[in-house]
Amino acid sequence: MGLNESDLIKEPACQTNSFSNYLWSDPPDENKWADCVHCGMCLESCPTYEITGQEQHSPRGRVHLIKSVAEGKLEVNEHFMDPVFACLDCRACTTACPADVDVGGLIEEARGQIRQAMPLKGWKKAVSHLFLHSLFPHHNRLYTLGNVLKLYQKSGMQTFVRKTGLINIMPQHLAEMEAIMPEVKKPVRKKYKHEKVIKAKGETKSTVAFLTGCVMDVMFSEINEATINVLTRNGNDVMIPQNQTCCGALHVHAGDREMGRKLAKQNIEAFQHAEKVIVNSAGCGCMLKEYPELFREDPVWRQKAETFSKKVEDISKYLYDTGYKRPIAEIKARVVYHDACHLAHGQGIRDEPRSLLLDIPGVEMVEMANADRCCGSAGIYNITNPEMAKEVLDSKMKNVPKEAEMIVMGNPGCMLQMAMGVQKNGRNQKIVHTVQLLDWAYQKEDRLKEGEECL
Amino acid sequence: MSLKGIRTNDKHIKNLANIVEGNRSILYKKEDLLAYDCDGFTIHRRLPRAVVFPNNTEEVAKIVKYCHEHDLPFLARGAGTGLSGGAIPLNGEVIISLVKMKRLISVDFENRRAVVEPGFVNLKLTNSISDKGYYYAPDPSSQYCCTIGGNVGENAGGAHCLKYGVTTNHILGLEVVLPNGEVIEIGKDGIPDAPGYDLLGLLTGSEGTLGIVTKITVRILKNPEAKQTVLAYFDNVADGSQAVSDIISAGIVPAALEMMDQIAIEAVEAAAFPVGHPKDIEALLLIEVDGISAGIDEQIHQILEVCKRNHVREVKVAQSEEERARWWANRKTGFGAMGAISPDYLVQDGVIPRSKLPEVLNRIHEISREYGLRIANIFHAGDGNLHPLVLFDARKPGETEKALKAGSACLQACADAGGSITGEHGVGIEKREEMRFIFSDEEIAAQTDIREVFNPKNLLNAGKLFPTPGRCLEVKKEEKSVTAS
Repeated sequence: MGLNESDLIKEPACQTNSFSNYLWSDPPDENKWADCVHCGMCLESCPTYEITGQEQHSPRGRVHLIKSVAEGKLEVNEHFMDPVFACLDCRACTTACPADVDVGGLIEEARGQIRQAMPLKGWKKAVSHLFLHSLFPHHNRLYTLGNVLKLYQKSGMQTFVRKTGLINIMPQHLAEMEAIMPEVKKPVRKKYKHEKVIKAKGETKSTVAFLTGCVMDVMFSEINEATINVLTRNGNDVMIPQNQTCCGALHVHAGDREMGRKLAKQNIEAFQHAEKVIVNSAGCGCMLKEYPELFREDPVWRQKAETFSKKVEDISKYLYDTGYKRPIAEIKARVVYHDACHLAHGQGIRDEPRSLLLDIPGVEMVEMANADRCCGSAGIYNITNPEMAKEVLDSKMKNVPKEAEMIVMGNPGCMLQMAMGVQKNGRNQKIVHTVQLLDWAYQKEDRLKEGEECL
Repeated sequence: MSLKGIRTNDKHIKNLANIVEGNRSILYKKEDLLAYDCDGFTIHRRLPRAVVFPNNTEEVAKIVKYCHEHDLPFLARGAGTGLSGGAIPLNGEVIISLVKMKRLISVDFENRRAVVEPGFVNLKLTNSISDKGYYYAPDPSSQYCCTIGGNVGENAGGAHCLKYGVTTNHILGLEVVLPNGEVIEIGKDGIPDAPGYDLLGLLTGSEGTLGIVTKITVRILKNPEAKQTVLAYFDNVADGSQAVSDIISAGIVPAALEMMDQIAIEAVEAAAFPVGHPKDIEALLLIEVDGISAGIDEQIHQILEVCKRNHVREVKVAQSEEERARWWANRKTGFGAMGAISPDYLVQDGVIPRSKLPEVLNRIHEISREYGLRIANIFHAGDGNLHPLVLFDARKPGETEKALKAGSACLQACADAGGSITGEHGVGIEKREEMRFIFSDEEIAAQTDIREVFNPKNLLNAGKLFPTPGRCLEVKKEEKSVTAS
């Protein structure tokens, strides 16, 4: 039996149902998806579409599904959760989108609904609670964890675990992470606990407040140290408000918007007297700039959040805009720059860090195809979606030129993920934060002046 | 693939899943299928029965054969960026998604041709060969993401088709899976102008109703030695239109000659790639000339003169590649940019003789007023290919229907001016009925007879491209009753 023309459906199958299946407050914002005309310009920008080729894993597909729930055509269930949580939240689609559709915002709002409709259970709940509630918002506990890690490294336990093959019984992605764990040092928040202001070297031009971040301060405190050095060297007094807390990005990515709001309020208050809030972690910076989004339904806090967000600036952009001393000493290095998603797509900062790097004598920059493609770190995506994250990382590593000696970037999550990529691919490349390289150049300059090193 | 994890009682889905190797090879759950209920044309929607992701020609052929034997309607889909609904599963089709077949198989610089799989993205071809000084000419605005397979289906055009021709002018050979699962090759080895009927021409632009293309040999071109781009702002649409005519009459064949009107400018300036166009002008022209270096400056000089003669407010030549790229990004994202000023849009694709531009644009203004809907115009002015974009809000009751009628009226205006209802977007679902504006019943029947030869069971992409006889009868009945009364 074939089909006759007259058998065909003649009328549009499209219908809308006014009963939204979003049952909680703060649902995905209708005005955001109203901007999407389904043109498909986002498809090629999306790492998960690139890997799967499936449209429910593409930006416009996800927007379509989110809209379908609001139209009552779809329920908030496991099948809806999968595409929404498989999104890396990398925002590459917002760069590609001709109509500036805020896909990232929609995804986060949808996740908020999913988490309320289907709360986590069992070990997933326990793990999520441990990290998001019991650990990240508490700097002291993180610091203690840092100490445990330090003990793990220093006591010989790390060597023991690696040598005995205990490492082999860890899940593969955790073992891979263990392998690249940076050496844990003292967080700057502890170090400068009793200093109200870290004075500028020389004349003070302005005063800035510094968000130290959680992972950054425990895992990469030397980058925080470098940030303070670079700021003070360029005439900035630096304050580290002690009641600051985790930015909440990981919570918001995970759909825990309530906790996100709680942390946001604490930070907004902690920094209320600051004129500038400097961040060296792209993910945190992007979150801070997006605080108003969390308070769509709360005009009072929305106002406060807007005032706060305007003060937030990434370190590279801040230096670029306010001027910095061009280092004199040479750092001979062939580097490649990786655009952290939340810096390039999230905050539109691309040229500033590159320009900073190129201002260091001796630095040679190698081009990388798709430099602004996500590396798969995406907050804790590499822990929650290890398989997809691995494919995204493999695709990224293919583009990293072998001749580069350093891979430079502006986000701690990317640094851990790229370190894993380097390790897995048997590469020998150093993973460096933009501000670190600048600090090294300054330090070398100082040593030269003191006559320790010959030119 | 193994059937592990496939939970359904539909035996066809299990059998189709069995054909395709590897992971992520089939979708069949409602939630996953929803993302496939429409393409770039969003007014008609329907869920497919399943979406299958074959890896190679053999798998496509097996899927097609299975559908053919079991009378399952099916259709092919690439990136789903089509603007006339060609990939919408109107009959609950099995969608054969070709996105996994995305290899660049070979490039032959000596003979200036490349072989690609259908899921290969248009712009990636140019990007893959540009370091050798070559490019692929057809450049639909969706070239960042649309596939060459889809371009063949729709005979896609683009801004630079004025000088270089549309997709059909660049296709040298095709491997096609016929609707019964048989695999044929047309234009083997890419030798142009084979004797006999021009089957390449017939297949290209057949909107996926005659077969599924699985391998494509395309022509590649050497980059032009020089390229210059001009941007001109006009206070008055008629002046802009006259400038278009005058440029062509002066004997210049620009590589591209594009126009945007005031509403279009409002959209692109409110969207992601603004250039800073003044908002109070009625029209802008984006003009590009390319070729050997000698003579380019002279052509640019002539173009500037023509613009001045036609009361241009401001005219400038791009001073750098970066500036040129910004102008083009602004133009090429124009359709998507409508999202910034309207929740929905319907784009039409009429073609008219260049000389009728001012007249038809006026008529479109009238239509806009009649229906109370804003209509933006972004179009390939050089070849008279109009794209009226009817802006509407599907959430408002009755507005979708109004938009469809306004769009249809625009096409009627084009047909009345001696033009056609589509230049490059295809007929799809959208313009089926409007085919009657330019073809008689007999002419349509002659074309469906051709389809019959390839696609006798009409399982492949049924209900597209031609008006349905049922509707046609109804229309006639209505006409009769009107005449009778």
